[in-house]
Amino acid sequence: MTAARLLWQLAALGVLLVAAPLILGIARKTRAILTGRRGPRVWQLYADLRKLSLKGAVYSITTTEVFRLTPLVVLATTLLASTLLPLNGQRALLSFAGDFAAFAGLLALGRFFMVLGALDTGSSFEGMGASRDVTFASLVEPGLFVTFVALSVAGGALSLSGMLGAELWLRWGAVAPTMVLLAGSIFVLMLAECARVPVDDPATHLELTMVHEVMLLDTSGPDLALVLYAHAVKLSLFAAIIVDILVPRSTLPPWSAIALLGAGIIGVGILVGVVESTMARLRLSKVPLFIASGSALGLFGLILLLR
Amino acid sequence: MLTAAIASWSLRRHAWGDRVFASAGLTGCVTLGVAAVYVLGARDSASLVVPATTPGGDWIFAIDRLSAVFLLAIALIGGAAVVFGTSYMAAQRPHRPVWFAHSVLALLVAALALVVMAQSIVPFLIAWELMAIGSYLLIVTDDEDAAVRRAGLIYIVATHTGTLALFAMFASWSAHTSDWSFAALASAAPNLPNQGTAILALALIGFGLKAGLVPFHFWLPPAHAAAPPHGSAILSGIVIKMGIYGMFRVLSLLGAAPPLWWGWIVLLLGAVSGVLGVLWALAQHDIKRLLAYHSVENIGIILMGLGLGALGIRYGYPALALIGYTGALLHTVNHALFKSLLFLGAGVVNHATGTRDLDKLGGLARRLPFTGLTFTVGATAIVGLPPLNGFVSEWLVYQGLFRAAQSEDLLRLAVLGVPALALIGALALACFAKVVGVVFLGSPRSVAAQTAHEGDRGQLAPMGVLAAACVLLGVVPALGIIPAMAVAVNVAPELGATLPDAVAVARAGQWVGAVAVALILLVALVFALRRWLMRRSEIRSEETWSCGFEGTSPRMQYTASSFADPLLSTFGRIGGVVEERTPSSYSSHALDLVLDRLVLPAWDRVHRTALRLRPIQQGRLYVYLLYVMVALLVLLAYLALA
Amino acid sequence: MTSLTELILFLVVLSDFAVLGTSRLSSCIRAVALQGLLLGLLPLVIDESLTRHAVGLALGTVAVKAIVLPAFLRWAIREAAVRREVEPLIGYTASIALGIAALAVAFAVANVLPMRGGEAELLIPTALVTVMIGLTVLITRAKALLQVVGYLMLENGIYLFGLTQARRVPFLVEAGVLLDVFVGVFIMGIVVFHINREFDSISAARLTELHE
Repeated sequence: MTAARLLWQLAALGVLLVAAPLILGIARKTRAILTGRRGPRVWQLYADLRKLSLKGAVYSITTTEVFRLTPLVVLATTLLASTLLPLNGQRALLSFAGDFAAFAGLLALGRFFMVLGALDTGSSFEGMGASRDVTFASLVEPGLFVTFVALSVAGGALSLSGMLGAELWLRWGAVAPTMVLLAGSIFVLMLAECARVPVDDPATHLELTMVHEVMLLDTSGPDLALVLYAHAVKLSLFAAIIVDILVPRSTLPPWSAIALLGAGIIGVGILVGVVESTMARLRLSKVPLFIASGSALGLFGLILLLR
Repeated sequence: MLTAAIASWSLRRHAWGDRVFASAGLTGCVTLGVAAVYVLGARDSASLVVPATTPGGDWIFAIDRLSAVFLLAIALIGGAAVVFGTSYMAAQRPHRPVWFAHSVLALLVAALALVVMAQSIVPFLIAWELMAIGSYLLIVTDDEDAAVRRAGLIYIVATHTGTLALFAMFASWSAHTSDWSFAALASAAPNLPNQGTAILALALIGFGLKAGLVPFHFWLPPAHAAAPPHGSAILSGIVIKMGIYGMFRVLSLLGAAPPLWWGWIVLLLGAVSGVLGVLWALAQHDIKRLLAYHSVENIGIILMGLGLGALGIRYGYPALALIGYTGALLHTVNHALFKSLLFLGAGVVNHATGTRDLDKLGGLARRLPFTGLTFTVGATAIVGLPPLNGFVSEWLVYQGLFRAAQSEDLLRLAVLGVPALALIGALALACFAKVVGVVFLGSPRSVAAQTAHEGDRGQLAPMGVLAAACVLLGVVPALGIIPAMAVAVNVAPELGATLPDAVAVARAGQWVGAVAVALILLVALVFALRRWLMRRSEIRSEETWSCGFEGTSPRMQYTASSFADPLLSTFGRIGGVVEERTPSSYSSHALDLVLDRLVLPAWDRVHRTALRLRPIQQGRLYVYLLYVMVALLVLLAYLALA
Repeated sequence: MTSLTELILFLVVLSDFAVLGTSRLSSCIRAVALQGLLLGLLPLVIDESLTRHAVGLALGTVAVKAIVLPAFLRWAIREAAVRREVEPLIGYTASIALGIAALAVAFAVANVLPMRGGEAELLIPTALVTVMIGLTVLITRAKALLQVVGYLMLENGIYLFGLTQARRVPFLVEAGVLLDVFVGVFIMGIVVFHINREFDSISAARLTELHE
């Protein structure tokens, strides 16, 4: 019984981790199609990762051990965070009261090292990216926690597994419209946290306009592969939260729950692509307003739940 | 056990005295620490009664669990400060009475221990004042600097105002008792008018001034920036925590839960202190002032836990109350650990480069590897990130807030603390990314930073111990959570019934530890993976990529000010941060809203009013006699009419 | 039907926020038009029996609030050559924060009020929040055109209040509201032109210059 459950959990996690680069590929393909281009194959990122991991590395002479540690911490925190989310409708691999704080804390640790690694190079471009990244993050973080607390009120639970899994399912019918609001909020926060249009443009090649990419200017070879992969996993984590909110699956058999998760993540990927091809990147000074509006959605949901 | 240490500390004038001072100080601290651990482990408490020599009954000293937690922190930080201080001040021996600074430090540690051990009013207040004076003397160690003297003056005025409130509090309380021991106060608690409203208000002011919560924080940043590093470590790590100790002590003596308004005010002030503290910290360029503002922030987090606890009892959610109190206590200890670690690290940096200006530092991790490492550990801990101890206490406070949100009462309003705490965490992350990045990483921005040298072993060892403690409490959270819970039950006995919840929280705490361990293992695993991937590939070192531009220089790096600029232009207005821009320069500084806009203008007005009274002073005897006469007549008239 | 009602009311609140958060005049007008459309749908959804009264009310509301008035406002922009930015007195993020505060207050107050929205319990808070955000727009946006928008939102809020009484006091209330809006906007339109002719700008702050 428990062994079977563990296997299903691992299977769900495996699907998420293997499929993570796909979501970026799908987003990119959607964007290309909608803007009338052919675009790279959806599997392109896998090929990129393979190529990068076979390459050698170049390290800047200004950097210290912190810079070498950064890709490791970024990937490790993201992987560990993915064990905290309920993926197949059942409890997550790791689940305890207050694990939402661990989820956010792990992602924050990854960001902390990302920023330190960027500052370690002494490059003004990377300093700029780091500075912008923490600015946006300090707007995202309250929004994320507002959504979490709203979910915890909705499900009456203190762990992510309860908020997004079984307990939420029991009350889902009564709070469905609010859940749509919360999913919208998470979607906006995802665009900001994972550096997508309209907050940041992952396709740009002008350093001055980059936010997230610019912090990787000096990262090369396997290190770059690790960070890019972690980035993809992070995006699919947020996508998985959205799917969990909108499509509670705790009563479904595990395989169909996992299949729904996969379909949902692909759907989110397409949605990201649609947003990227219909919106322009916002002026930097407008980004806080964008994120604040996203958080406002979450607050609205929270007020509805607390009323 | 302490008197011996004090006596042996204060007499040293010679070079060999340093060693004696250090060993005596350490012995004293170890004794204290052992006593504290004993009390925490065993269930009884030690006590000592000195027969009355002053009015107000016997002097009673005792260690119960609440004192023991604070005593343990005092012992640890005090020991670290003694070792660090000995080594740090040794260089200044030729041109400064070092023995004086040492004995002040010893006196301060002793006074702190007495504050938490005192169990009656008179010794408590005496120790309290000793502590205030000791802190003052420590702050003005570098008294040739005018800014330092000003900081000391502001401090002494503020702390005496606080003591005044405490006098009023104890006076109004002891009016209901026969003798002045804490036990008598506790037994009189049920008879207090309005459930002790006046007492709690005065305690909030008196202890709040010591703790440095907004709006009583104005004395804190200049004072903590002015003291020598080990002094700042004690001041920020321990002395302000005495305010927290005082609040907990008053709560435990009152027995009954504080009224609702008190809990809400504490929670609100906590959130405000947290957000404003970190915003002001972001705008600082002086590393020690920055750390001092972070103390305001962390006191805010502690108060949020305390307020949640008080509200939880009142609204009838004991599990929530337990989590709130535990979180507050644990964060108090945690903050003592990492904040003193950071101040010591800042001291080494200051000593090595001769500057505290962030914009002149850079690249120090190469020159000061050990300081860089321990400072990064401290920074990660204070931001509240796993796998370190700061995360454990913030995790508890978050849990408390979430539980409050799920309640059915007005308590749900506490949900507003969630975004506040998240904002505090994210801004603190930004701020410490700035400090670590600008001070230790990148390339040096000045000659001083290029030629810096690592501190000696006496300075590094305490930092190592403190950093290890931060890691330990993060990886094995039960070590902190379980004693803190025991103390929480001690403070509010009605929480004794929450055993199942306590067990659940402790078990969840083990999971937090598991996450920390898993994180460390995963990093190692990924490290091995990268090793394997790069087993045959070529690794080169090159200049930092500058996008094809030749001739970059360290001056082109992002500075602390430029790093914080987008944050300040987004959030700065909340905290009154002033930004100045010209086409070629940018600068920002934080106005201290309370000091610059409230206290100083008010003081000026008092001063001006006082000047207007000046003509009364004539300097002639008969005029004064006339005043006496008039006063007498007025009084008589009043009596006659009444 | 309740969840459909709730969804519509959500969208009404979101359109309130859209007005607060956008920097373009045309988006503001679009949001208000959307709001008008939603308000028009509401009587159909709330009254499960499609009475002639409900249908009439819906058609009238949609025609006036979602088609005529927005067109009128757009025409005013074109005619008066207004700058197409909102130019608020306080920042957009601050406006959103104010809106959230208004929302919280609205929900807190709605529980205390003696009125009940019947099956649609969100009706009263939505009405309150729309009124409050309308006031916020009136206070913080100096442009005369946005004053019209704010006034319209205020009217929309009152209309929502009216819906709770729709069964007891049929038709009269709504007709009055519609007329009221129409006249109000008409007058403001004239004012817009006047200001435009006199000062070559339509900022209501300049109205103070008429003081002398």
